[in-house]
Amino acid sequence: MKSLEELKNKYKEIEIPAELEERVKQSVGRAKKRPGRRQPLKRWTISAAAAAALFVGSVNVSPGFARTFDNIPVLGSIVQVLTGERFTLEETTYHADLKTPEIQGLTNTDLQNSLNEQYLAENKALYEKFKEETGLLEKAGGGHAGIDTGYEVLTDTDQLLSIGRYEEVTAASAATMMHYDTIDKENGILLTLPSLFKDAGYVAVISDYLKAEMMRQMAHDDSLVYFIDGDDTADFRQIDRDQEFYITADHKLVLSFDEYEVAPGYMGVVTFEIPSEILKDQLVGDSYIR
Amino acid sequence: MTKQTVYQQVETYIIENREAHYRLAYSYVKNKEDALDVLQEAIVKALQSAGRLQDDRYLKTWYYRILINTSIDFLRKNGRMIAAGEEVIQHHLPETVQHGRDLDLAAAVEQLPAEERILIILRYFEDMKISEIAQVLEEKLSTTKARLYRVLKKLRLEIGEESNQ
Repeated sequence: MKSLEELKNKYKEIEIPAELEERVKQSVGRAKKRPGRRQPLKRWTISAAAAAALFVGSVNVSPGFARTFDNIPVLGSIVQVLTGERFTLEETTYHADLKTPEIQGLTNTDLQNSLNEQYLAENKALYEKFKEETGLLEKAGGGHAGIDTGYEVLTDTDQLLSIGRYEEVTAASAATMMHYDTIDKENGILLTLPSLFKDAGYVAVISDYLKAEMMRQMAHDDSLVYFIDGDDTADFRQIDRDQEFYITADHKLVLSFDEYEVAPGYMGVVTFEIPSEILKDQLVGDSYIR
Repeated sequence: MTKQTVYQQVETYIIENREAHYRLAYSYVKNKEDALDVLQEAIVKALQSAGRLQDDRYLKTWYYRILINTSIDFLRKNGRMIAAGEEVIQHHLPETVQHGRDLDLAAAVEQLPAEERILIILRYFEDMKISEIAQVLEEKLSTTKARLYRVLKKLRLEIGEESNQ
């Protein structure tokens, strides 16, 4: 079987990537967090569902910006979010589809313009970067790469507008990031997480609740895994002061974590609705969250 | 064998044999990133069900089964059961002209359906015994044997000595 022998040599020549060892050890480390637990493979089904659901990421908001008020209430003004500029690229092994959201009708036009400009600038930069990367990839002999961004209106009431923007990169290991913006339409303010609370005490209150909730969910459902009870430095300890969040139409606070932030990649982007009762003492008031 | 030692054995096995495992995953998904993802998925899956591995004699066949199932699952979920084949054919075309027969064989192996190609990979590239392959694929020994012979015939290869190992 000489020919098969030669094929075998070819097979053995499949190049071993430099990062293999590290990736394998990392995976072993991740699995170790919950030895003996059964974990069905659900990563792909989740990411499909997740694409349908949605993910968001973060806008860097200066505190001064968040406090900008627009004191001219306009009755019956219609705020809407449309798809503005769209960047697309479709080649055999490369794919890009970047949809830029555009907010219209906010009475605070400064806020509206700066958000729209930011959305556009971010997508432009992502698109340029993607073209640059595929160019390099092409020089190196080709490869597969993809990027998708888009948005979804999560909440749209007379008072609030929450937009979730997702960024899904499928070049390296597929990863999804979510950014959210929540706007008080009546007052023309972009809400930040700290601005909702009296002081920084909310970080501990919410973190404690989340840790207990993650433990509860894991005890309840074997397929769920959160990075929490180990001594790994990457384990979840507390939320960020500016953790990604949005507010639902029924005034509940929802916190969002990107892939790998608090759970293995197959769990996708993870969100938690925080019960309003536990926040009562921390909140500035009950107009947004109750 | 206590649970702890099984777990450690699986861990050691996974780390030590990572290159062979990577190649196997690669032979399915055909690109580096996907192969790494599949491997990662298989490792987590294996370690988290390590408690169910009764006997370390079956470690290798048990792990290969997980790895193969994870790979197939990946292809199915990404709708790539066919696309991978085409890519590979493209990949082999220019070389075929240069090298003649061996690369025709390479292309022929690549064109085999995944469930047949794996027989060639395990038997001839990974040097597994037919009895081990049967365990990996959860088939009767006679079934695996018959399937392997059929594949070799399809590839028009001389069937060498294939005793009941």
